Amino acid sequence: MDSSLVMIGLTNVLSVNNIACILGGTLLGLFVGAMPGLSATMALALLLPLTFSFDPATGLSMLASLYVGASYGGSIAAILLRTPGTPSAAATVLDGFPLSQQGKAGQALGISLFASFFGGLMSGIALLTAAPLLGTLVLEFGPVELFAIAVLGITIIGSLAQGSVISGLLSGGLGLLLSTVGMDLTTGTPRMTFGQINLFAGIDFTVALIGLFSVPQALTLIENSHRGGKVASRITDRLMPRWCTIKQLMPNILRSSGIGIVVGLIPGTGGDTASWFAYNEAKRFAKDKSRFGKGEIAGVAAPEAANNAVVGGALIPTIALGIPGSSSTAILLGALMVQGILPGPNLLTDYGDVTYTLIWAVILANIALLVVGLAFTKMSVSVTRIPDGFIACAILTLCIIGAFAINNSLFDVGLMLGFGLFGYWMSKAGVSPAPMVIGLILGPVMETSFQQSMLIGNDSFGVFLESPIATVLLILALLSILQATPFFRWLRAPFKRRLKPD
Amino acid sequence: MHAKPLRHWLTIAAVAISLSPLAQAADYVGGDEITVLQGFKPGGGSDALAQLVQPRLSEILGVDFVNEYMPGATGAVAWTRLAKQSPNDGSTISITNTPMLMTNYIMNDAITYKTDEMTPIANVVTDPGIVVVSADSPYQTIEDLFAAAEQSPGTVTIGNSGVGGDDFFTTILLEQAKGLSFKKVPFQGDGPSATAAMGGKIDASFNNVGNVYGQVESGNLRALAVFAEKRLTSLPDVPTMKEKGVDVVAGSSRGYSAPADIPEEARQQLIEAFQTLAKDPDFQAQAEKRAMNLDVVTGDDYRAMIDKMESDYREIWDSVKDQVGR
Repeated sequence: MDSSLVMIGLTNVLSVNNIACILGGTLLGLFVGAMPGLSATMALALLLPLTFSFDPATGLSMLASLYVGASYGGSIAAILLRTPGTPSAAATVLDGFPLSQQGKAGQALGISLFASFFGGLMSGIALLTAAPLLGTLVLEFGPVELFAIAVLGITIIGSLAQGSVISGLLSGGLGLLLSTVGMDLTTGTPRMTFGQINLFAGIDFTVALIGLFSVPQALTLIENSHRGGKVASRITDRLMPRWCTIKQLMPNILRSSGIGIVVGLIPGTGGDTASWFAYNEAKRFAKDKSRFGKGEIAGVAAPEAANNAVVGGALIPTIALGIPGSSSTAILLGALMVQGILPGPNLLTDYGDVTYTLIWAVILANIALLVVGLAFTKMSVSVTRIPDGFIACAILTLCIIGAFAINNSLFDVGLMLGFGLFGYWMSKAGVSPAPMVIGLILGPVMETSFQQSMLIGNDSFGVFLESPIATVLLILALLSILQATPFFRWLRAPFKRRLKPD
Repeated sequence: MHAKPLRHWLTIAAVAISLSPLAQAADYVGGDEITVLQGFKPGGGSDALAQLVQPRLSEILGVDFVNEYMPGATGAVAWTRLAKQSPNDGSTISITNTPMLMTNYIMNDAITYKTDEMTPIANVVTDPGIVVVSADSPYQTIEDLFAAAEQSPGTVTIGNSGVGGDDFFTTILLEQAKGLSFKKVPFQGDGPSATAAMGGKIDASFNNVGNVYGQVESGNLRALAVFAEKRLTSLPDVPTMKEKGVDVVAGSSRGYSAPADIPEEARQQLIEAFQTLAKDPDFQAQAEKRAMNLDVVTGDDYRAMIDKMESDYREIWDSVKDQVGR
């Protein structure tokens, strides 16, 4: 690390103009993130041409802060309306919305904001100090290792299937099944598309997500709108979390940020995966697991710290090797190219001044997030004072716009409504949509990397045992499955007895 | 609701930049607004081409360009729209990526558009194919790779950007030309394929120069050969496949096409605009800065290029489809 380049980067960012751009970018990001269907990637792509005429530092500051803002913004709608604004906020719904129903929306949003801030800041520091070191790790992750990660992720379904294990597994299996729709990677054959070319690229996971979470929520609100007795959130006094709460959550936030950085690092997995991993680990480490899903603040802090930590994590391979860790960082890489910088491993050396500008912009954007986020969140909580009927209509409108905006396709709107009706039935039947979402996210990753691994390993399963990383991850997955079955209790019983002889 | 004003806003900004007082050279017969259908998401390679080409084209023709992104089925959603449902008055065109444009429907009967339902206007860039291996790979030259494949057929793993993409077909062309057999590993795009090669997860990646140039320059990847007519000025030490006695020239190209039977005057105006653009030194410099390899082929020549690709790729696919389908 060349310290003079680091300082040049810092001074580049610290101008009135750039700080204004960071504040503006963060606000825009919050807004985009809060809207279901509008994603950071989309906003970055639309903003990119506008920054061509800017000075490199200004353009990068604006883009980076937009990315950071959007990573937090998704949680606002997730907590207040049970409609995740971005795919990576889906896990936040599980505990965020129950908190909101209990009138603690302010507390949930405050925790979410601080967790996002710490997650983002930690990943920014990792980016600044350890990028070249961590960057080389990325090359260790090929299809074989990615498959092991996906398998480990799928085991989360087991722990999310609260209440009825059968219905949880069913929901997860259905998600996996739906993820096979579309062209087969190795043969190019369309599967289960019924000759409909809009399905060739598969079911867009965001379309399914909007349908499964948001539409049932809107319908339920309409159902209950005549009953009244709504709990208005008390926000004003609670938005700033107490210091002792933060201190208590710190181990959780640190762990989740670590998960976010690592998952972000690996190309092919992003915020949507990291938040579920973090949620699952928070639950695993918690003393009282039964409170998860009913309004546990740790269940809000974990996914939010993780999905903001993904930002820095995904930027690590981008700047260390010129390999984008996510589709959003691929666009940031495009922004660098326009400044005459060819993506490659010399970003930190030859083009260090511009690259360190980007890194500092990410770090400052997290500080801006705390400031702008507090104001923005305070305003958005007033949503809970609006009558349910109006909110339901607004949610439905946003769902339709959001589903359309992803691919500019009316077909996707229909698909989203289909998922919406199915999700409504699921909520009536008491089946959680969360396992299905995990199946939809990880199914394609698992299938693709399995097919690639089989090709690389000449159709031998031994290929998974040749890679130490994959072996460890697969063993963890096995333990994770065992933990959810009675076997684990039988295995543990003798140990417990030995520890406590009675 | 919110995507639209932003896009409008950007269009206005783009127009404000592009409309200089001297810009109104000719009145374009297709109207004062051209819609460009893009088959891929904003921010990708096609969008990068649009950002480079359209502001300048807008000055030459005196029209505004409006990008309409309709990703899906590797571009087929947009190209079906172009061929079947777009007005053929010159007001709608599309960025056409070859060979994806034809391999889409050659490989899948459910995709129904054909290239003869389009009016090719101009190809703009061609990114030549390249063979890369990791820096610590045992293969120092392309001959080493051939020798390995000869020794144990079907085990040398070659990454490509996906079944139906240019690299997939280039691998088959090479196999047929040399009588070799590789293990073809498809990835979701050129980037992941290159990364897998860099990490030594696969033996080699068939890629495109623009995607891996930075990694080759910095020594993370070693280039063994390029699928170009002659050596590239950017990589003068890398031999062409032709030099090695393999007559395979391939790459991924992007250009513009309109629906079939647009007015002849509109077609001529568009073609002339691209010809003017090709001579613009500022455009050439900007393209080089963005690692885009200009290959401007207009009108009937672009049509001939597309027709040749269509028959070539159809032939290749017919010869291998039974093995791929397994």
